[in-house]
Amino acid sequence: MAALLRSTRFLKFSPLGLLQIVGTRRTGPPLSRLCSGSIGVGRTGVLTQSQRPSVDIASSYVWPCAAGCVRNYAVATEKKDEPSVAVRSKQAQHFDWALAKLDSSVRRTGRITKTLHLRIFHDICRTGYPSGNQALLLLRSCGSLLPEMSLDERTELAHRVWEKLQELGAQYDVSHYNALLKVYLQNEFKFSPNDFLGKMETANIQPNRVTYQRLIAAYCQNGDIEGASTILGFMKSKDLPITEAVFNALVTGHSRAGDIESAKNILSVMRGAGIDPGPDTFVSLLNAYAEKGDMDSLKKTLEEAENADSSLMDRDIMEVIFTLARAGHQQHIPEIVERLRHERGYIPDAMNLCLSLITQGHDDTAFLILKTFPSLQSDDINSDLANLGNFFLRHCVNMDTPLEKICHYCKELHNNNMHTSPLTFTLSCALEAKKTDLSLQLMKTMKEQNLPIRPHYFWPLLTQNTKDKNAAGVVEVIKGMQALDVTPDLDTISSYILPVFNSIEVARQTLKDAGISLESEGFVTSEIRFMATSNLAQLYTLLSDPSHPSIDLVNFRSSLIQGFRKSDDVENMVKITKLLYQDERYSKTGNNPADTVSYFLYNLIDSMSESTLHAQEDKLRNYFNQLKAQNIFLTENIYRGIRNLLQAKHVPELIKDVIVLVDPNDRVSVGPISTAPHPSGLDGKVPFLEAKLAELKAENQPLASVLKQIIQVLSAEENLQRALELKQQYEDEMSMGAYAVLINLCCRHNNVEEALNLKREMSRQDSSVGLDASKYIALVKVLIKNSRVEEATDILKEMKEKDVALNDSHVTMLFHALNAAVPKGGPVVQRLQETIFTLGLAKPSANLCAPLVSAYLDSNDLSGALDAALDCQKRYGHLPRIHDIVVILVEKGDTELLQKAMDMVSQERGEMTMLYDLFFAFLQTGRYREARKIIETPGLRARPGRLQWYAEKCISNQQMEVLEQMVDMTSKLFECDRDEMYCYLLRLCKETNDWQKAEAVWTKIQEENIIPRERTLRMLADVLKSNGQEVPFEVPETWYEQAANTQQVKPETAHRAAENGPQYQMRLLALCKKGKATEAFRMLKEADKKGVTLGPASYDHVIRALLAGGALKDATAVKDIAQSRLPGFQLSDTANSLLVVTQSKLGQTKDALETLKSMLQQDHVPSQLAITRLVQALSSQGDVAAITDVQSCLESLGTSLNLSTMLFTNNKALAHIKQGDLDSAVEILEEVYTSPDNKSPSMGFVFRKVLEENNDKAIDKLSAMAERLANHFACCRPATDLFLNLLKLGKVEEAKFMLARVNGLAEQKDALVSFVARASQRPGQVDKIKTLHNLIPDFVEKEVLYPYMMKCHVMDKDLASAKALYERMQEEGLVVDELSLKRLAVLYRTQGETAPFPEPSESFKFYAEKLKEKTAKVQDGEQST
Amino acid sequence: MAAPSRNLFELFVSKVPWTVAGKEMREYFGQFGQVRKCLLPFDKETGFHRGFCWVGFTTEEGLNNALQKELHLLEGAKLQVQKNRRPFSGQKSNNENDGSSI
Repeated sequence: MAALLRSTRFLKFSPLGLLQIVGTRRTGPPLSRLCSGSIGVGRTGVLTQSQRPSVDIASSYVWPCAAGCVRNYAVATEKKDEPSVAVRSKQAQHFDWALAKLDSSVRRTGRITKTLHLRIFHDICRTGYPSGNQALLLLRSCGSLLPEMSLDERTELAHRVWEKLQELGAQYDVSHYNALLKVYLQNEFKFSPNDFLGKMETANIQPNRVTYQRLIAAYCQNGDIEGASTILGFMKSKDLPITEAVFNALVTGHSRAGDIESAKNILSVMRGAGIDPGPDTFVSLLNAYAEKGDMDSLKKTLEEAENADSSLMDRDIMEVIFTLARAGHQQHIPEIVERLRHERGYIPDAMNLCLSLITQGHDDTAFLILKTFPSLQSDDINSDLANLGNFFLRHCVNMDTPLEKICHYCKELHNNNMHTSPLTFTLSCALEAKKTDLSLQLMKTMKEQNLPIRPHYFWPLLTQNTKDKNAAGVVEVIKGMQALDVTPDLDTISSYILPVFNSIEVARQTLKDAGISLESEGFVTSEIRFMATSNLAQLYTLLSDPSHPSIDLVNFRSSLIQGFRKSDDVENMVKITKLLYQDERYSKTGNNPADTVSYFLYNLIDSMSESTLHAQEDKLRNYFNQLKAQNIFLTENIYRGIRNLLQAKHVPELIKDVIVLVDPNDRVSVGPISTAPHPSGLDGKVPFLEAKLAELKAENQPLASVLKQIIQVLSAEENLQRALELKQQYEDEMSMGAYAVLINLCCRHNNVEEALNLKREMSRQDSSVGLDASKYIALVKVLIKNSRVEEATDILKEMKEKDVALNDSHVTMLFHALNAAVPKGGPVVQRLQETIFTLGLAKPSANLCAPLVSAYLDSNDLSGALDAALDCQKRYGHLPRIHDIVVILVEKGDTELLQKAMDMVSQERGEMTMLYDLFFAFLQTGRYREARKIIETPGLRARPGRLQWYAEKCISNQQMEVLEQMVDMTSKLFECDRDEMYCYLLRLCKETNDWQKAEAVWTKIQEENIIPRERTLRMLADVLKSNGQEVPFEVPETWYEQAANTQQVKPETAHRAAENGPQYQMRLLALCKKGKATEAFRMLKEADKKGVTLGPASYDHVIRALLAGGALKDATAVKDIAQSRLPGFQLSDTANSLLVVTQSKLGQTKDALETLKSMLQQDHVPSQLAITRLVQALSSQGDVAAITDVQSCLESLGTSLNLSTMLFTNNKALAHIKQGDLDSAVEILEEVYTSPDNKSPSMGFVFRKVLEENNDKAIDKLSAMAERLANHFACCRPATDLFLNLLKLGKVEEAKFMLARVNGLAEQKDALVSFVARASQRPGQVDKIKTLHNLIPDFVEKEVLYPYMMKCHVMDKDLASAKALYERMQEEGLVVDELSLKRLAVLYRTQGETAPFPEPSESFKFYAEKLKEKTAKVQDGEQST
Repeated sequence: MAAPSRNLFELFVSKVPWTVAGKEMREYFGQFGQVRKCLLPFDKETGFHRGFCWVGFTTEEGLNNALQKELHLLEGAKLQVQKNRRPFSGQKSNNENDGSSI
């Protein structure tokens, strides 16, 4: 039997899919212990459960742990008296997880991929303790669930799983042996049943009925009836029941033994034994015939099966197809394929069949099956659905199907419009599989078809070679590249080619020997890049060679920067820089090389991190100084940029070395810069200002502003001496501003005396004026530094008096000022701190209090520090540096003081804070055991803020061990966000770039069964990826997917939460709006069961939704519910109208008429559609009287419903025709057209109906009438209607005939144009318009016709025809209107081409309106003339 | 200087078909305005790009032109185009050695 694909028979219907894999439906599941399906229960609805009651019972067995419960681990380990529980629970969870994975794969696709299987195998091995269940799960998946693997490979895998898990201590029972047998059968593995039984015996495992059954099947598979009989006899002797499965096996057995008659006879034997042959029996027999190629018997058996009510599913037929293919009877397959019924779930089954066929080399048959796939008509260009057969092509590539065949399939897929780009897709598969030969051949084929071949196509083929430094492999690919006329571009060369060679010379030689051209710009650039990062001296030699081609620095800037950062070869750095500075070859044409170098220097500094800059400060200084010596200049702008970078990265010391590089012509305007004094003075500015000063002095003019300017410049130059001299010289002219600048300069130079002097002078001049906040604080700081605390407090007081406002950065400056007092001892800090707080200059904060504690800590006065901290707590409510204090106390082991500290903290801040402080202190000092005790204090809960504080501290200090310990210890902490904790760990891993640690964290996360957030996974993936490691999970790529997911989840929960009326109503309304009528109905019934009464509108909505789907019965049921709950309930207009429509559609015209009448009685207005459908239904029943009835009813309604006047006439005529009364039909129609005031209404509907029904008699009669009306009464309308209907149906000859006989037809411009207009609104109609145009070439102006045709081509997405039409319009000198141009342009665009004209920029609507306006104007004009 | 303007006028493009590389992306988005940079990261392991790309325009106009277009079709695939919300993760525009094309 080995029923291929049978194994998945029920998977689609059961959430516990894997249970049925063994496919022993008829023999009873021996593996029911496997039913740990708590996953499925949670996710799938009630419905699937009730379908398989047996599953329910089983699923309540054993495993109580729901997957995804984060805290199970903790719960389990609490039971410390029974250690194995934890292990078992962990296994259970892992099993659930693996089960969920496999289950979902099987449920979606009916198969498992090799990768998934191997991954789960690997995971189970890694966790260490494989359970029996896990082993079973893996074993069972080694059979036909792996259609992509060959039979041998599958068996091999099964054996590997078997041995490996046994090695790891998995306990095997009979279920495992049975599972292995099943796999053998599915894989047609030849083995000795005797040996197998022997093995079981050695393992002391009793075979059961299933074992025997499968052994029989094994014998039968080989046609060994004797062997089968032995076992059968054994079973009988043991009184084991012989089930259908055994008989099915015997059918196969006899047939394989060459005795088809006996095989057939088994069926009667079965019946004799009281067992009816089931579908499986028939399938066994069918396969038997299929193997022989006996089509007659096969077909007979098929019929027999049908008669026996053993309906065969598509999957069964597929098995027969598979057998035919394998037995070499391909010629019969098409006949059997016809029998496929395309049941629900056809596609995944057929896909699996295709895969199995390809795996076994029957790709021709597989392709035949592929062609039976329903073509996915998708107008949506964006969906990949438009491409059918991706899986097919991929598997062909994997199975090494010959190129010719693959190309043939591609061609056919393309020609049949099943796939837009099969070759390209196949190529991507070949590249993914790194099949070099196939890839190159495919590219050759693509090239022949004028598809582009690009350098990056070769990268997948190069990666592994590059990684392995396999030069030969790389050269091989490059040769292939050259053979396809693809020149390796820069990226190819520098990323994939050069890295495999040890030196550029070797690369040159090897490539040259292989006949590969080295002349490309890419190669030259790569060479430069390579040298830039490896050898600057060589690079200089290369670049300075006058024969070197020109190349923009942009192409190797980054490499050069990298080289400069790495190298200590300042000499060559300078040489290269000078070369770039002078040589135009290395700048973009038109750019000044000097600018190029300026930017380069900016980029160089920009690329260096703060630490690198600090580390290379001397090297850079040397470099800059040498650049200066070489007369290399920077522009002022770039200098500013570099200055900003240096300041931001805290290396202002280098600024003075850069400023000298500024072009002297530029330098005047550089402005105040804080650089060290320059020997020559700041060129120009100071002398200039001094000269000006002297000049003004001579003229006796005010000097104050120039004096201030000059002092500012000197301050920028840090030239205190000269500034003081000038101040001395022009004392009277000193402004307040000049004083302030000077005082600040003194502070920077730590010249406290002079600063105070100046300050006093300043106050003497004007005591009301003060400094700004930062200058005040700078002064305070310098005073503190010089131990002049008295004066410092005075200044602070002055700040208060002058009302100086302080912002945050000033407060930080105050902190630094206080810190400067730390070495002066506690009391000094205390005094300053108190002054600041009492004066109210700044509010007390933990930060501002910290220096006080620091002062005591620095002098090793722990007791003082603690007292100070507690004092701060009492006075200001801040506990500064308590962590540091406690850490030192713990380190010193000063228990007494520690106790005091903890008591105080506990008293002031609560016990929880105290415990955390202690916890962190223990962690910090490496006393993990104590820390663990603390954190495990009963009742302690997580404080995310504090945990975060400490984690951040660990991250910034890179304390991995401590952080790990904390994460580990908090695993059982109540309410601890585990993901967050692991995220901290991963952040540190990222910081230290430690992927091994990150991987260990990942294992831990799984061990703890945490479901990590996406950002955590991303971080993990980042660390792994940046270290070239494989990422063992799918990385969530984007934020919006997450958003979408959460949105999807919400309605589900809302659904569950709906408990009361209003909630139900909202949910119902939402469901109705989404058109989910059945769901709404179900929910409504649920609500009704709970006794909830809803508003009338809700019932009405559900009824409407149901009716819209034609569910009349359900709608009536809802109506009944509504009426029982709300006695006066009536349907709304809309609902009633829908009811009429539904009843009419179902042919219940009496009811419909009834409904209509009751509506009218209630003064409800029926919809137009309701009337139309009812009248049409009546006419199709030939009920003329009822139509008249409806008509008169509506007339009494009084309001016009905008119904077409012909609705009743046409339908009455049709009703007469239905009755066979053609004369009456003609009579009422003629009456309309012959009446003097008729407006030539359309009777097209009548013609359409009779033409569709091929009612020749009626057609003859009516066409005669139309001719008569046209030729005798000059009423061409009916003839035109007939003509157009003939056209529509493609009856061109008959249409021509009409045209010939009815003279006026060609002149019915309006009707013809409106036909064209309507046709152009739907795709695929252009031919009808063309036919019309052929028949009546000049029925309308080209100006009118062509735009419609353009619309058609656009509708059909037929760019070629559209182009042709556009050309024709231009040739014929027509002005193409903007709307058509717009349409055409969009078509170009969607087909990926560029229109040869600018696309009109406005919207379609805009041009449509414009056109309408224009036509209206023309018409107006025509009318007025 | 260059630093503050780094994250302006940038698109994040996803669902980029494997057949196109940086050059083709540049060419395609060049129709909307001058492209300052185009970063299409390639996976060194597989040799394929990762399917997403950052495109930076020199002007806001270029960015808006590209955003206004409803459908971006490139080699038969519909690109998903949106304004870049996240800064390049440490990528500098002058980084020509990271296996991407600029």
